Amino acid sequence: MGASINWVGLLTIIRREMTRLLRVPIQAFVAPWISALLFIFIFGYVVGGRISQIGGHSYLEFVLPGIVMLNVVNAAFLQSSSQVYFARFMRYVEETLVSPLSYVEMISGVLVTVVFRSVVTALGILVIAALFGASSVAGVGEFVFWVVGVAIVFGLLGNLVGLWANNFEQLTILNVFFITPLSFVGGVFNTIDMLPSWLQWMAWANPFFYFINGLRHSMIGFTEAPELLGIGVTIGLGAVMFVIVWRLYAIGYGLRE
Amino acid sequence: MTPALSISHLRKVYARGTVAVNDLSLDIAAGDFFGLLGPNGAGKSTTIHCITGISTVTSGEIRIFGVDAVKNYREARRRIGLSPQEFNVDTFATCRQILDWMGGYFGMERAERKRRAEMLIEKFDLVPHATKQFRELSGGLKRRVVLARALIHDPDLLILDEPTAGVDVELRMDLWRYLQELNHDGKTILLTSHYLEEIERLCRTIAIVNKGKIVQHGPKNEFFTEPGGLEEAYLRATGATPERIAAAAGR
Repeated sequence: MGASINWVGLLTIIRREMTRLLRVPIQAFVAPWISALLFIFIFGYVVGGRISQIGGHSYLEFVLPGIVMLNVVNAAFLQSSSQVYFARFMRYVEETLVSPLSYVEMISGVLVTVVFRSVVTALGILVIAALFGASSVAGVGEFVFWVVGVAIVFGLLGNLVGLWANNFEQLTILNVFFITPLSFVGGVFNTIDMLPSWLQWMAWANPFFYFINGLRHSMIGFTEAPELLGIGVTIGLGAVMFVIVWRLYAIGYGLRE
Repeated sequence: MTPALSISHLRKVYARGTVAVNDLSLDIAAGDFFGLLGPNGAGKSTTIHCITGISTVTSGEIRIFGVDAVKNYREARRRIGLSPQEFNVDTFATCRQILDWMGGYFGMERAERKRRAEMLIEKFDLVPHATKQFRELSGGLKRRVVLARALIHDPDLLILDEPTAGVDVELRMDLWRYLQELNHDGKTILLTSHYLEEIERLCRTIAIVNKGKIVQHGPKNEFFTEPGGLEEAYLRATGATPERIAAAAGR
Protein backbone atom coordinates (compact mmCIF):
# COMPACT_ATOMS: atom_id res chain seq x y z
CA MET A 1 0.00 0.00 0.00
CA GLY A 2 2.83 2.38 0.97
CA ALA A 3 1.92 6.00 0.32
CA SER A 4 -0.69 5.12 -2.30
CA ILE A 5 -4.35 5.81 -1.74
CA ASN A 6 -6.24 3.27 0.36
CA TRP A 7 -9.32 3.34 -1.87
CA VAL A 8 -11.06 0.48 -0.09
CA GLY A 9 -10.47 2.25 3.23
CA LEU A 10 -11.82 5.53 1.88
CA LEU A 11 -14.90 3.84 0.43
CA THR A 12 -15.44 2.08 3.74
CA ILE A 13 -15.51 5.38 5.63
CA ILE A 14 -18.03 6.64 3.08
CA ARG A 15 -20.13 3.47 3.39
CA ARG A 16 -20.09 3.69 7.17
CA GLU A 17 -21.14 7.33 7.19
CA MET A 18 -23.82 6.76 4.55
CA THR A 19 -25.21 3.97 6.72
CA ARG A 20 -25.27 6.29 9.72
CA LEU A 21 -26.81 9.11 7.68
CA LEU A 22 -29.57 6.92 6.29
CA ARG A 23 -30.49 5.81 9.82
CA VAL A 24 -31.92 9.31 10.35
CA PRO A 25 -33.61 10.32 7.07
CA ILE A 26 -36.22 12.54 8.72
CA GLN A 27 -33.61 14.55 10.58
CA ALA A 28 -31.22 14.67 7.61
CA PHE A 29 -33.56 15.35 4.70
CA VAL A 30 -37.24 15.72 5.60
CA ALA A 31 -36.65 18.42 8.25
CA PRO A 32 -34.77 20.82 5.92
CA TRP A 33 -37.29 20.17 3.13
CA ILE A 34 -40.21 21.07 5.40
CA SER A 35 -38.33 24.14 6.63
CA ALA A 36 -37.64 25.17 3.03
CA LEU A 37 -41.27 24.55 2.09
CA LEU A 38 -42.37 26.95 4.84
CA PHE A 39 -39.83 29.58 3.75
CA ILE A 40 -40.92 29.26 0.13
CA PHE A 41 -44.60 29.43 1.03
CA ILE A 42 -44.42 32.36 3.46
CA PHE A 43 -41.62 34.50 2.05
CA GLY A 44 -41.87 33.56 -1.57
CA TYR A 45 -45.54 32.94 -2.13
CA VAL A 46 -47.50 34.87 0.54
CA VAL A 47 -45.19 37.87 1.18
CA GLY A 48 -43.56 37.70 -2.23
CA GLY A 49 -46.90 38.12 -3.98
CA ARG A 50 -47.01 41.68 -2.60
CA ILE A 51 -43.44 42.59 -3.58
CA SER A 52 -42.57 43.94 -7.01
CA GLN A 53 -40.01 42.19 -9.17
CA ILE A 54 -36.28 42.32 -8.39
CA GLY A 55 -34.01 42.47 -11.41
CA GLY A 56 -36.82 41.18 -13.60
CA HIS A 57 -37.50 38.17 -11.36
CA SER A 58 -40.35 37.38 -9.00
CA TYR A 59 -39.53 37.59 -5.29
CA LEU A 60 -39.90 33.81 -5.02
CA GLU A 61 -37.31 33.29 -7.76
CA PHE A 62 -35.04 35.83 -6.07
CA VAL A 63 -35.31 34.34 -2.60
CA LEU A 64 -35.11 30.65 -3.60
CA PRO A 65 -31.29 30.51 -4.09
CA GLY A 66 -30.84 31.95 -0.61
CA ILE A 67 -33.14 29.31 0.87
CA VAL A 68 -31.23 26.58 -0.97
CA MET A 69 -27.91 28.00 0.25
CA LEU A 70 -29.09 28.26 3.89
CA ASN A 71 -29.99 24.60 3.83
CA VAL A 72 -26.82 23.51 2.03
CA VAL A 73 -24.72 25.31 4.65
CA ASN A 74 -26.69 23.76 7.51
CA ALA A 75 -26.64 20.28 6.01
CA ALA A 76 -22.88 20.42 5.43
CA PHE A 77 -22.02 21.84 8.83
CA LEU A 78 -24.32 19.58 10.82
CA GLN A 79 -23.25 16.46 8.92
CA SER A 80 -19.53 16.90 9.40
CA SER A 81 -19.57 18.33 12.92
CA SER A 82 -21.84 15.57 14.23
CA GLN A 83 -20.01 12.89 12.24
CA VAL A 84 -16.62 13.82 13.70
CA TYR A 85 -17.92 14.61 17.18
CA PHE A 86 -19.89 11.37 17.56
CA ALA A 87 -16.94 9.30 16.31
CA ARG A 88 -14.90 10.90 19.08
CA PHE A 89 -17.65 10.76 21.68
CA MET A 90 -18.37 7.05 21.08
CA ARG A 91 -14.65 6.44 20.52
CA TYR A 92 -15.06 4.55 17.25
CA VAL A 93 -12.76 7.11 15.69
CA GLU A 94 -10.08 4.85 17.21
CA GLU A 95 -10.99 2.24 14.58
CA THR A 96 -9.70 4.58 11.90
CA LEU A 97 -6.77 5.80 14.01
CA VAL A 98 -5.36 2.27 14.32
CA SER A 99 -5.90 1.56 10.61
CA PRO A 100 -3.61 2.32 7.67
CA LEU A 101 -5.64 5.36 6.62
CA SER A 102 -4.09 8.70 5.75
CA TYR A 103 -5.46 11.95 7.14
CA VAL A 104 -6.53 13.01 3.64
CA GLU A 105 -8.56 9.80 3.32
CA MET A 106 -10.20 10.38 6.71
CA ILE A 107 -11.10 13.98 5.81
CA SER A 108 -12.26 13.03 2.31
CA GLY A 109 -14.50 10.31 3.73
CA VAL A 110 -16.26 12.94 5.83
CA LEU A 111 -16.53 15.36 2.90
CA VAL A 112 -18.10 12.88 0.47
CA THR A 113 -20.98 12.27 2.89
CA VAL A 114 -21.27 16.01 3.47
CA VAL A 115 -21.54 16.68 -0.27
CA PHE A 116 -24.08 13.86 -0.70
CA ARG A 117 -26.33 15.21 2.06
CA SER A 118 -26.02 18.79 0.78
CA VAL A 119 -26.76 17.91 -2.85
CA VAL A 120 -29.77 15.76 -1.94
CA THR A 121 -31.07 18.54 0.31
CA ALA A 122 -30.63 21.12 -2.49
CA LEU A 123 -32.30 18.93 -5.12
CA GLY A 124 -35.24 18.26 -2.80
CA ILE A 125 -35.76 21.99 -2.30
CA LEU A 126 -35.67 22.54 -6.08
CA VAL A 127 -38.41 19.93 -6.46
CA ILE A 128 -40.51 21.67 -3.78
CA ALA A 129 -39.94 25.06 -5.44
CA ALA A 130 -41.00 23.60 -8.78
CA LEU A 131 -44.44 23.04 -7.25
CA PHE A 132 -44.60 26.82 -6.80
CA GLY A 133 -43.35 27.41 -10.34
CA ALA A 134 -39.86 28.60 -9.40
CA SER A 135 -36.92 26.31 -9.80
CA SER A 136 -35.00 27.42 -12.84
CA VAL A 137 -31.30 26.60 -13.03
CA ALA A 138 -29.67 28.76 -15.70
CA GLY A 139 -26.19 27.24 -15.40
CA VAL A 140 -26.08 23.63 -14.22
CA GLY A 141 -22.29 23.51 -13.93
CA GLU A 142 -22.20 26.74 -11.99
CA PHE A 143 -25.04 25.51 -9.72
CA VAL A 144 -23.12 22.31 -8.98
CA PHE A 145 -19.96 24.33 -8.24
CA TRP A 146 -21.75 26.49 -5.66
CA VAL A 147 -23.58 23.67 -3.93
CA VAL A 148 -20.55 21.36 -3.83
CA GLY A 149 -18.01 24.14 -3.16
CA VAL A 150 -19.96 25.63 -0.25
CA ALA A 151 -20.73 22.16 1.12
CA ILE A 152 -16.99 21.43 1.19
CA VAL A 153 -16.17 24.73 2.92
CA PHE A 154 -18.78 24.12 5.63
CA GLY A 155 -17.97 20.43 5.77
CA LEU A 156 -14.41 21.40 6.68
CA LEU A 157 -15.61 24.01 9.17
CA GLY A 158 -17.90 21.41 10.76
CA ASN A 159 -14.99 18.98 10.86
CA LEU A 160 -12.94 21.54 12.75
CA VAL A 161 -15.76 22.17 15.24
CA GLY A 162 -16.28 18.41 15.60
CA LEU A 163 -12.61 18.08 16.61
CA TRP A 164 -12.77 21.01 19.00
CA ALA A 165 -16.09 20.42 20.75
CA ASN A 166 -16.10 18.60 24.06
CA ASN A 167 -19.84 18.64 24.59
CA PHE A 168 -23.08 19.05 22.65
CA GLU A 169 -23.35 22.71 23.67
CA GLN A 170 -20.05 23.57 22.00
CA LEU A 171 -21.18 21.75 18.88
CA THR A 172 -23.96 24.29 18.32
CA ILE A 173 -22.12 27.50 19.27
CA LEU A 174 -20.79 28.31 15.80
CA ASN A 175 -24.13 27.63 14.16
CA VAL A 176 -26.05 29.85 16.57
CA PHE A 177 -23.64 32.79 16.78
CA PHE A 178 -21.95 32.78 13.39
CA ILE A 179 -23.51 30.72 10.62
CA THR A 180 -27.20 31.57 11.06
CA PRO A 181 -26.76 35.35 11.61
CA LEU A 182 -24.25 35.79 8.77
CA SER A 183 -26.31 33.73 6.35
CA PHE A 184 -29.46 35.75 7.09
CA VAL A 185 -27.67 39.07 6.50
CA GLY A 186 -25.85 37.69 3.45
CA GLY A 187 -28.61 38.60 1.00
CA VAL A 188 -31.07 35.73 1.30
CA PHE A 189 -34.11 38.01 1.33
CA ASN A 190 -32.78 41.28 -0.09
CA THR A 191 -30.32 42.85 -2.46
CA ILE A 192 -27.33 44.74 -1.08
CA ASP A 193 -28.66 48.11 -2.21
CA MET A 194 -31.77 47.56 -0.07
CA LEU A 195 -29.50 47.75 3.02
CA PRO A 196 -28.68 51.09 4.65
CA SER A 197 -25.49 52.47 3.11
CA TRP A 198 -23.56 52.09 6.40
CA LEU A 199 -24.34 48.35 6.38
CA GLN A 200 -23.48 47.63 2.77
CA TRP A 201 -19.73 47.25 3.42
CA MET A 202 -20.53 44.47 5.86
CA ALA A 203 -22.21 42.51 3.11
CA TRP A 204 -19.04 42.69 1.02
CA ALA A 205 -17.03 41.36 3.97
CA ASN A 206 -19.51 38.54 4.55
CA PRO A 207 -18.59 35.33 2.69
CA PHE A 208 -22.23 34.23 2.75
CA PHE A 209 -23.03 37.10 0.41
CA TYR A 210 -20.73 35.59 -2.23
CA PHE A 211 -22.14 32.09 -1.75
CA ILE A 212 -25.75 33.24 -2.08
CA ASN A 213 -24.97 35.65 -4.89
CA GLY A 214 -23.10 32.96 -6.81
CA LEU A 215 -25.90 30.44 -6.46
CA ARG A 216 -28.44 33.09 -7.42
CA HIS A 217 -26.46 33.85 -10.57
CA SER A 218 -26.36 30.15 -11.45
CA MET A 219 -30.13 29.88 -11.02
CA ILE A 220 -31.61 33.11 -12.36
CA GLY A 221 -28.63 34.98 -13.79
CA PHE A 222 -28.91 37.83 -11.26
CA THR A 223 -25.71 39.02 -9.63
CA GLU A 224 -24.50 41.88 -7.45
CA ALA A 225 -20.80 40.98 -7.33
CA PRO A 226 -18.17 39.87 -9.83
CA GLU A 227 -18.51 36.08 -10.30
CA LEU A 228 -14.77 35.46 -10.18
CA LEU A 229 -14.44 37.23 -6.86
CA GLY A 230 -17.03 34.88 -5.34
CA ILE A 231 -15.40 31.81 -6.86
CA GLY A 232 -12.01 32.98 -5.56
CA VAL A 233 -13.39 33.54 -2.05
CA THR A 234 -14.94 30.06 -2.01
CA ILE A 235 -11.90 28.22 -3.34
CA GLY A 236 -9.60 30.26 -1.07
CA LEU A 237 -11.67 29.51 2.03
CA GLY A 238 -11.88 25.84 1.07
CA ALA A 239 -8.10 25.60 0.61
CA VAL A 240 -7.32 27.39 3.89
CA MET A 241 -9.84 25.28 5.80
CA PHE A 242 -8.47 22.06 4.29
CA VAL A 243 -4.90 22.90 5.33
CA ILE A 244 -6.04 23.74 8.87
CA VAL A 245 -8.10 20.55 9.24
CA TRP A 246 -5.36 18.39 7.71
CA ARG A 247 -2.83 19.87 10.13
CA LEU A 248 -5.13 19.21 13.09
CA TYR A 249 -5.51 15.57 12.01
CA ALA A 250 -1.75 15.29 11.61
CA ILE A 251 -1.03 16.50 15.15
CA GLY A 252 -3.93 14.45 16.48
CA TYR A 253 -5.86 17.46 17.82
CA GLY A 254 -9.07 16.19 19.41
CA LEU A 255 -8.37 12.71 18.07
CA ARG A 256 -5.36 11.24 19.79
CA GLU A 257 -4.63 11.30 23.51
CA MET B 1 15.84 -11.62 13.67
CA THR B 2 13.79 -8.41 13.62
CA PRO B 3 11.62 -8.14 16.74
CA ALA B 4 7.87 -8.01 16.25
CA LEU B 5 7.80 -4.99 18.53
CA SER B 6 10.69 -2.85 19.59
CA ILE B 7 10.16 0.10 21.92
CA SER B 8 13.08 2.29 22.92
CA HIS B 9 12.98 5.06 25.51
CA LEU B 10 9.26 5.64 25.11
CA ARG B 11 7.95 8.57 27.05
CA LYS B 12 4.38 9.78 27.14
CA VAL B 13 3.41 12.93 28.98
CA TYR B 14 -0.25 13.98 28.82
CA ALA B 15 -1.30 17.56 28.25
CA ARG B 16 -1.86 18.14 31.97
CA GLY B 17 1.67 17.03 32.76
CA THR B 18 0.96 13.47 33.92
CA VAL B 19 3.88 11.22 33.01
CA ALA B 20 2.16 7.98 31.99
CA VAL B 21 5.15 6.22 30.43
CA ASN B 22 8.68 7.11 31.43
CA ASP B 23 11.65 5.86 29.41
CA LEU B 24 10.14 2.45 28.67
CA SER B 25 12.16 0.11 26.48
CA LEU B 26 11.07 -3.35 25.39
CA ASP B 27 11.63 -5.91 22.66
CA ILE B 28 9.14 -8.64 21.82
CA ALA B 29 10.48 -11.41 19.61
CA ALA B 30 8.43 -12.51 16.61
CA GLY B 31 6.25 -15.45 17.61
CA ASP B 32 6.40 -14.71 21.34
CA PHE B 33 3.43 -14.72 23.68
CA PHE B 34 4.24 -11.71 25.83
CA GLY B 35 2.47 -10.71 29.03
CA LEU B 36 2.47 -7.18 30.35
CA LEU B 37 1.49 -6.92 33.99
CA GLY B 38 1.05 -3.91 36.18
CA PRO B 39 -1.34 -2.19 38.56
CA ASN B 40 -4.01 0.24 37.34
CA GLY B 41 -2.41 3.41 36.02
CA ALA B 42 1.00 1.76 35.56
CA GLY B 43 1.16 2.76 31.89
CA LYS B 44 0.17 -0.50 30.15
CA SER B 45 -2.75 0.89 28.18
CA THR B 46 -0.92 4.11 27.38
CA THR B 47 1.97 2.08 25.99
CA ILE B 48 -0.48 0.14 23.83
CA HIS B 49 -2.14 3.36 22.71
CA CYS B 50 1.25 4.74 21.66
CA ILE B 51 2.05 1.55 19.71
CA THR B 52 -1.28 1.58 17.86
CA GLY B 53 -1.59 5.32 17.21
CA ILE B 54 -4.42 6.12 19.61
CA SER B 55 -1.97 8.27 21.59
CA THR B 56 0.76 10.51 20.33
CA VAL B 57 4.30 9.73 21.45
CA THR B 58 6.11 12.42 23.46
CA SER B 59 9.54 10.93 22.72
CA GLY B 60 11.18 7.62 21.95
CA GLU B 61 10.83 5.16 19.12
CA ILE B 62 8.44 2.30 18.36
CA ARG B 63 9.11 -0.20 15.59
CA ILE B 64 6.73 -2.89 14.37
CA PHE B 65 8.67 -5.63 12.57
CA GLY B 66 11.36 -3.00 11.96
CA VAL B 67 8.96 -0.36 10.62
CA ASP B 68 8.79 2.99 12.44
CA ALA B 69 5.28 3.18 13.91
CA VAL B 70 5.21 6.99 13.84
CA LYS B 71 7.04 7.97 10.66
CA ASN B 72 5.73 5.07 8.59
CA TYR B 73 2.53 4.50 10.50
CA ARG B 74 0.45 3.16 7.61
CA GLU B 75 2.77 0.28 6.92
CA ALA B 76 3.27 -0.44 10.63
CA ARG B 77 -0.46 -0.49 11.43
CA ARG B 78 -1.27 -3.01 8.73
CA ARG B 79 0.53 -5.59 10.85
CA ILE B 80 -1.19 -4.83 14.17
CA GLY B 81 -4.55 -5.99 15.47
CA LEU B 82 -5.86 -4.31 18.62
CA SER B 83 -8.49 -5.42 21.08
CA PRO B 84 -8.76 -2.43 23.41
CA GLN B 85 -9.75 -2.45 27.05
CA GLU B 86 -12.77 -0.19 26.45
CA PHE B 87 -15.31 -0.73 23.70
CA ASN B 88 -14.62 1.75 20.91
CA VAL B 89 -17.41 0.80 18.55
CA ASP B 90 -20.34 2.45 16.79
CA THR B 91 -22.89 0.87 19.09
CA PHE B 92 -25.66 1.12 16.48
CA ALA B 93 -23.67 -0.96 13.99
CA THR B 94 -24.27 -4.69 13.74
CA CYS B 95 -21.64 -7.26 14.53
CA ARG B 96 -21.23 -8.04 10.82
CA GLN B 97 -20.92 -4.36 9.89
CA ILE B 98 -18.25 -3.79 12.55
CA LEU B 99 -16.10 -6.58 11.11
CA ASP B 100 -16.77 -5.58 7.52
CA TRP B 101 -15.88 -1.92 8.12
CA MET B 102 -12.71 -2.75 10.02
CA GLY B 103 -11.59 -5.02 7.19
CA GLY B 104 -12.35 -2.20 4.79
CA TYR B 105 -10.20 0.30 6.68
CA PHE B 106 -7.35 -2.15 6.27
CA GLY B 107 -7.89 -2.20 2.51
CA MET B 108 -9.28 -5.75 2.31
CA GLU B 109 -11.33 -6.46 -0.79
CA ARG B 110 -14.99 -7.34 -0.35
CA ALA B 111 -14.77 -11.09 -0.93
CA GLU B 112 -11.84 -11.45 1.47
CA ARG B 113 -13.57 -9.31 4.10
CA LYS B 114 -16.69 -11.41 3.87
CA ARG B 115 -14.76 -14.67 4.10
CA ARG B 116 -12.76 -13.58 7.14
CA ALA B 117 -15.78 -12.01 8.84
CA GLU B 118 -17.89 -15.15 8.48
CA MET B 119 -15.02 -17.32 9.67
CA LEU B 120 -14.55 -15.16 12.78
CA ILE B 121 -18.29 -14.92 13.44
CA GLU B 122 -18.38 -18.69 13.50
CA LYS B 123 -15.16 -19.03 15.49
CA PHE B 124 -16.42 -16.72 18.24
CA ASP B 125 -19.95 -18.23 18.32
CA LEU B 126 -21.49 -15.03 17.05
CA VAL B 127 -23.67 -16.53 14.31
CA PRO B 128 -27.02 -15.90 16.12
CA HIS B 129 -25.90 -12.35 16.91
CA ALA B 130 -24.34 -11.32 13.59
CA THR B 131 -27.17 -8.99 12.60
CA LYS B 132 -27.78 -7.56 16.07
CA GLN B 133 -26.64 -4.07 16.94
CA PHE B 134 -23.59 -3.95 19.21
CA ARG B 135 -25.59 -2.18 21.94
CA GLU B 136 -27.99 -5.14 22.09
CA LEU B 137 -25.26 -7.62 23.00
CA SER B 138 -24.21 -8.76 26.47
CA GLY B 139 -20.78 -7.80 27.85
CA GLY B 140 -19.25 -11.15 26.93
CA LEU B 141 -20.59 -11.02 23.38
CA LYS B 142 -19.33 -7.46 22.97
CA ARG B 143 -15.89 -8.64 24.02
CA ARG B 144 -16.01 -11.40 21.40
CA VAL B 145 -16.95 -8.90 18.67
CA VAL B 146 -14.05 -6.65 19.59
CA LEU B 147 -11.67 -9.62 19.56
CA ALA B 148 -12.98 -10.74 16.18
CA ARG B 149 -12.53 -7.20 14.90
CA ALA B 150 -8.86 -7.24 15.99
CA LEU B 151 -8.33 -10.36 13.89
CA ILE B 152 -10.25 -9.39 10.75
CA HIS B 153 -7.15 -8.41 8.74
CA ASP B 154 -5.10 -11.35 9.98
CA PRO B 155 -2.46 -9.26 11.79
CA ASP B 156 1.02 -10.54 12.62
CA LEU B 157 1.07 -8.79 15.98
CA LEU B 158 -2.03 -9.09 18.12
CA ILE B 159 -2.35 -6.65 21.02
CA LEU B 160 -4.93 -7.57 23.62
CA ASP B 161 -5.59 -5.08 26.40
CA GLU B 162 -7.36 -7.01 29.15
CA PRO B 163 -9.34 -9.12 26.69
CA THR B 164 -10.99 -11.31 29.31
CA ALA B 165 -12.15 -8.55 31.64
CA GLY B 166 -15.83 -9.12 32.39
CA VAL B 167 -16.21 -12.37 30.45
CA ASP B 168 -17.44 -15.63 31.89
CA VAL B 169 -15.21 -18.60 32.69
CA GLU B 170 -16.34 -20.60 29.66
CA LEU B 171 -15.50 -17.86 27.19
CA ARG B 172 -12.23 -17.20 28.96
CA MET B 173 -11.21 -20.83 28.52
CA ASP B 174 -12.31 -20.77 24.86
CA LEU B 175 -10.39 -17.60 24.30
CA TRP B 176 -7.25 -18.97 25.91
CA ARG B 177 -7.41 -21.99 23.64
CA TYR B 178 -7.89 -19.78 20.60
CA LEU B 179 -5.05 -17.46 21.54
CA GLN B 180 -2.76 -20.43 22.01
CA GLU B 181 -3.75 -21.69 18.57
CA LEU B 182 -3.01 -18.30 17.04
CA ASN B 183 0.35 -18.14 18.75
CA HIS B 184 1.11 -21.68 17.64
CA ASP B 185 0.36 -20.57 14.07
CA GLY B 186 3.02 -17.88 14.35
CA LYS B 187 1.16 -14.79 15.59
CA THR B 188 3.00 -12.64 18.09
CA ILE B 189 0.73 -11.76 20.99
CA LEU B 190 1.06 -8.95 23.51
CA LEU B 191 -1.39 -9.47 26.35
CA THR B 192 -2.17 -7.28 29.32
CA SER B 193 -4.24 -8.66 32.12
CA HIS B 194 -4.95 -8.33 35.80
CA TYR B 195 -5.34 -12.10 36.06
CA LEU B 196 -1.94 -13.48 37.02
CA GLU B 197 -3.22 -16.96 36.26
CA GLU B 198 -3.94 -15.91 32.69
CA ILE B 199 -0.47 -14.48 32.15
CA GLU B 200 1.12 -17.48 33.85
CA ARG B 201 -0.79 -19.94 31.72
CA LEU B 202 -0.42 -18.27 28.33
CA CYS B 203 2.75 -16.19 28.20
CA ARG B 204 6.34 -17.23 27.58
CA THR B 205 7.81 -13.83 28.41
CA ILE B 206 6.57 -11.45 31.09
CA ALA B 207 7.24 -7.81 31.90
CA ILE B 208 5.97 -5.95 34.94
CA VAL B 209 5.30 -2.26 34.54
CA ASN B 210 5.03 0.18 37.40
CA LYS B 211 4.84 3.97 37.28
CA GLY B 212 5.50 4.03 33.56
CA LYS B 213 8.65 1.89 33.65
CA ILE B 214 9.50 -1.77 33.16
CA VAL B 215 10.54 -2.97 36.60
CA GLN B 216 11.04 -6.64 35.84
CA HIS B 217 11.29 -8.46 32.54
CA GLY B 218 12.27 -11.91 31.44
CA PRO B 219 11.21 -15.44 30.49
CA LYS B 220 8.35 -16.85 32.54
CA ASN B 221 10.50 -19.37 34.45
CA GLU B 222 12.57 -16.52 35.96
CA PHE B 223 9.44 -15.44 37.83
CA PHE B 224 9.11 -18.81 39.52
CA THR B 225 12.44 -19.00 41.33
CA GLU B 226 10.89 -17.60 44.54
CA PRO B 227 8.30 -19.58 46.55
CA GLY B 228 5.48 -17.12 45.85
CA GLY B 229 5.97 -17.38 42.09
CA LEU B 230 4.55 -14.74 39.81
CA GLU B 231 2.33 -13.26 42.49
CA GLU B 232 5.24 -12.57 44.82
CA ALA B 233 7.37 -11.22 42.00
CA TYR B 234 4.52 -8.97 40.95
CA LEU B 235 3.92 -7.65 44.46
CA ARG B 236 7.62 -7.09 45.02
CA ALA B 237 8.04 -5.31 41.69
CA THR B 238 5.07 -3.06 42.23
CA GLY B 239 6.15 -2.04 45.72
CA ALA B 240 3.67 -3.96 47.84
CA THR B 241 4.17 -4.11 51.61
CA PRO B 242 6.40 -6.88 53.08
CA GLU B 243 3.34 -8.35 54.83
CA ARG B 244 1.49 -8.82 51.54
CA ILE B 245 4.60 -10.29 49.92
CA ALA B 246 5.04 -12.68 52.85
CA ALA B 247 1.40 -13.71 52.57
CA ALA B 248 1.85 -14.43 48.87
CA ALA B 249 5.03 -16.42 49.54
CA GLY B 250 3.24 -18.49 52.19
CA ARG B 251 0.42 -19.55 49.88
